[in-house]
Amino acid sequence: MGPVQHDLAGEPTFEPMIQIDMEIKGFVSAWRHCDYVSTYMARMISQNRSDSVRHSNLFSSAFNELLEVAFRTRHADGELACRVSRHGATDRIELTFPCVPEERQFYEEAVSQVAGTEARERYLNSVSGDLAPSREIVLLELAVDYNATLRVEEADGDVIRLVVDLPLEGLQH
Amino acid sequence: MSPYDLLPRFKAQYDANNQEFSISGVVRPQAIDELGPSIALLRDAIGRVRGVLYVNVRRLTQMNNAAFHAFSRIIIDACRARPDLKFVVITSSVVGWTSRKFGRLSGIEPNITVEEYDSEFYPGQGFLEEGGFVPILRSQTKMTWRHERAILPRHGMRQGIVMADICCGIGDFAVLVQKEFQPSRIVALDHSISSLNYARQVMREFDIRGIEYTYGDASEMLLDEAQFDLVTCRHSLQIFNRPELILKELYRICKPGGRVYITNEKNSHCLGEPRAESIRWTYNEVAKLFGHFEMDVELGPKSRRYLMEAGFEDIRVETFMVTNLDGDPQDFADVIAAWADVYAGEMATRRGDGAEFVARFRQGFQDHIFAALHPKGYAGWPIWVASGRRPQ
Ligand SMILES: C[S@@+](CC[C@H](N)C(=O)[O-])C[C@H]1O[C@@H](n2cnc3c(N)ncnc32)[C@H](O)[C@@H]1O
Repeated sequence: MGPVQHDLAGEPTFEPMIQIDMEIKGFVSAWRHCDYVSTYMARMISQNRSDSVRHSNLFSSAFNELLEVAFRTRHADGELACRVSRHGATDRIELTFPCVPEERQFYEEAVSQVAGTEARERYLNSVSGDLAPSREIVLLELAVDYNATLRVEEADGDVIRLVVDLPLEGLQH
Repeated sequence: MSPYDLLPRFKAQYDANNQEFSISGVVRPQAIDELGPSIALLRDAIGRVRGVLYVNVRRLTQMNNAAFHAFSRIIIDACRARPDLKFVVITSSVVGWTSRKFGRLSGIEPNITVEEYDSEFYPGQGFLEEGGFVPILRSQTKMTWRHERAILPRHGMRQGIVMADICCGIGDFAVLVQKEFQPSRIVALDHSISSLNYARQVMREFDIRGIEYTYGDASEMLLDEAQFDLVTCRHSLQIFNRPELILKELYRICKPGGRVYITNEKNSHCLGEPRAESIRWTYNEVAKLFGHFEMDVELGPKSRRYLMEAGFEDIRVETFMVTNLDGDPQDFADVIAAWADVYAGEMATRRGDGAEFVARFRQGFQDHIFAALHPKGYAGWPIWVASGRRPQ
């Protein structure tokens, strides 16, 4: 690995790996698209990881949860864009998809909770709780089990962009 | 519906004898109803068991949060309703997320414990993974390669194929294959982290491309079905107490029409002149020693039967003899010396062998070395090669 490069904002530069765009209508027409897309992209981006097979399994596991979140959007029009880029041991997923304004606010709140100190406890409570895991819990779990960091990025119109950094290479042996 | 939809993607089972509920495959339902029968099975199992219920998720490759929550809830509720009951969740060290995710359960209910099943699983696994085997494997591969490079094309090796080497050890074979045959991709799997680290280091140092090393368990691999034109598994079926389970996995990952290639020994057939008697005695004892640790180093000639019983067709078997005349006799002698070190050393000690036995045991190896280096001597180590085609 070369020296860490930073752009002007002081963020390390993530190199683009792969991007898939599709109509959200098409995407939500079948649940198994989440599985297809997560499995396919995981395989593509894991080839040059030190353990491609296990990396791909982990990546698919995390990415599928995000796609399932996008699948539940209440906004029926527009595009779903999945982009994966890489910086060293970290893979960045940028998932952009249409959502209604209330959802947008919901995601912003959810993501700020993830950063909170009691994230782990909240996650554990949800596992023993009655309710099926909400989208918020799904995001929490990524932080708790995959050491992911999450943020919501500005995007135009009725869309949301979730940016999730996954340091999976470090999670393995 | 595409054929994909018709494939069962996961399987839940309950084994009453072992009080074990297991779920395997990819579990990514949209709605919990899709899990109905499996959930009912788990509930039913909980109703029947006494003491401990084992929940085996070793072969669970994917499970979404919705499904995880559904199964966890049942287990957590059962802990609360029946404090007499304990749950042991068995995860795999290979599937990275399972230990973390299921591991959380023990923080919620003290009656749930989570165990990563690992190297203790096979009786002989310990010394093969971390023991003094590395130098042995190095020299062995160097010697067998002289023969195998000519043999492999008869068993499906060609340029451009996609291949897997299962139980790849330190990766020497994969590297030699890569250089000689240029397959388009090699996936090389082993369960020894130190061997894999070594293999990866070699790959970096020599800037070798096209080999993907992966940590895994040959009896339960994360690799997808039907993706390889050729699956090799060298000198390894013989170390498992149930080789048929490994063969089943090799079959699964092999493409229909592709081939599985295995090599194995029959140690009692190692030979040499002069001093044939002493050599023969010692190698008979080698076979018994491995047998003590439930490994069958006499497996070579049984390959044909194993392949047939695993469902392969067009089975081809051949043998070759590595001898002191192949190259530098000193190489041969070095391999024997390495065997003597481990077999008459660590392994004999573990079996509790007495000094007198060990001395005689060692003598046979020394005599084999003597034969190998003797100007008129001959020393041999026979290997059985076998391959079969997975039916279309
Ligand atoms: C006798 S060595 C053969 C290595 C290599 N094929 C060669 O010919 O040099 C057996 C190998 O099997 C590996 N092994 C043992 N148990 C395993 C398992 N459950 N899954 C994968 N590999 C395993 C060991 O780590 C070791 O590298």
